[in-house]
Amino acid sequence: MPELPELNPVIHGKLRLALLSLLVGVEEAEFTWLRSKTGATDGNLGAQLAKLEEAGYVSVKKKFVQRKPQTLYRVTETGRHAFIEYVQALKQMLGGAIGS
Amino acid sequence: MTESNEEMELKDRLSLIETMIAEGRRTTGSWAWSFVFWGMAYYVAIAWTAYNQWPWAWLVTMTSAWVVCWALIKRQQKSQPQRRPGTTMGRAIFSVWTAMGVSLTLLLPALGLSGRFNLHVFVAIVAAMMGFANGASGMIIRWKAQIATAFVWWAATVAACFGSDGQCTVVFLTAIFLCQIVFGVYAMIFESRLRRQEAHHA
Repeated sequence: MPELPELNPVIHGKLRLALLSLLVGVEEAEFTWLRSKTGATDGNLGAQLAKLEEAGYVSVKKKFVQRKPQTLYRVTETGRHAFIEYVQALKQMLGGAIGS
Repeated sequence: MTESNEEMELKDRLSLIETMIAEGRRTTGSWAWSFVFWGMAYYVAIAWTAYNQWPWAWLVTMTSAWVVCWALIKRQQKSQPQRRPGTTMGRAIFSVWTAMGVSLTLLLPALGLSGRFNLHVFVAIVAAMMGFANGASGMIIRWKAQIATAFVWWAATVAACFGSDGQCTVVFLTAIFLCQIVFGVYAMIFESRLRRQEAHHA
């Protein structure tokens, strides 16, 4: 039986997975939009995004729009690649589990 | 067969990914009004030209329509609590319409200034460009109704090359009515239905 792949622990966290899934579908997203879609608190959201940024999976851009600060997140190529690998591994594991 | 907790957890993760990707792509904008708006602008320009044959009626009407359209879009953006994130699909559609707008803005006045302008050429060019933009947008978002409007515009392009001036005008007025007014109203109903669904999902 082929060995099942391991799931990337950085992506496996529920909120981090939700964030990365949201970000792969858009070009870039504001912090407030991510908050409204995930329902997370500011603190938790900031911490999880920082972990994704630390892993090089998302990039952050801060700017001012009409004197209001705006933080924009975008998934990096590394992040996109890691996300695809995670989904493939997940499907493989589920396929293995269903097949067994 | 009973599923293990681990298997349930993995399925849960997969379902979370699908939901979030769909959520990110669900960016129903409000663009349908612009079809009706531009349809009305074309009618104003046609009526103005027919009324006093002023050669710049189209340019003045279209420029004014651009300014009003821009102001309405800005107002719409300001009224939204948060900016919708852009998608690659959205950028593709925006690019198609912007490129078409720039092409028409350059070509039509240039034809007018060079004296090579006539009603048949004008309707054929506008209809071809509208067919191109609607066809490309419809194919990008896979919306058959919009692809159908492209076919109407393309039919108008061919028809405009034949017949009398009067017939050409009727072809143009009909295409505007079907592709801008009727389609615009249909798209507005479609958008409001989508927004209701979004509100239900939220």
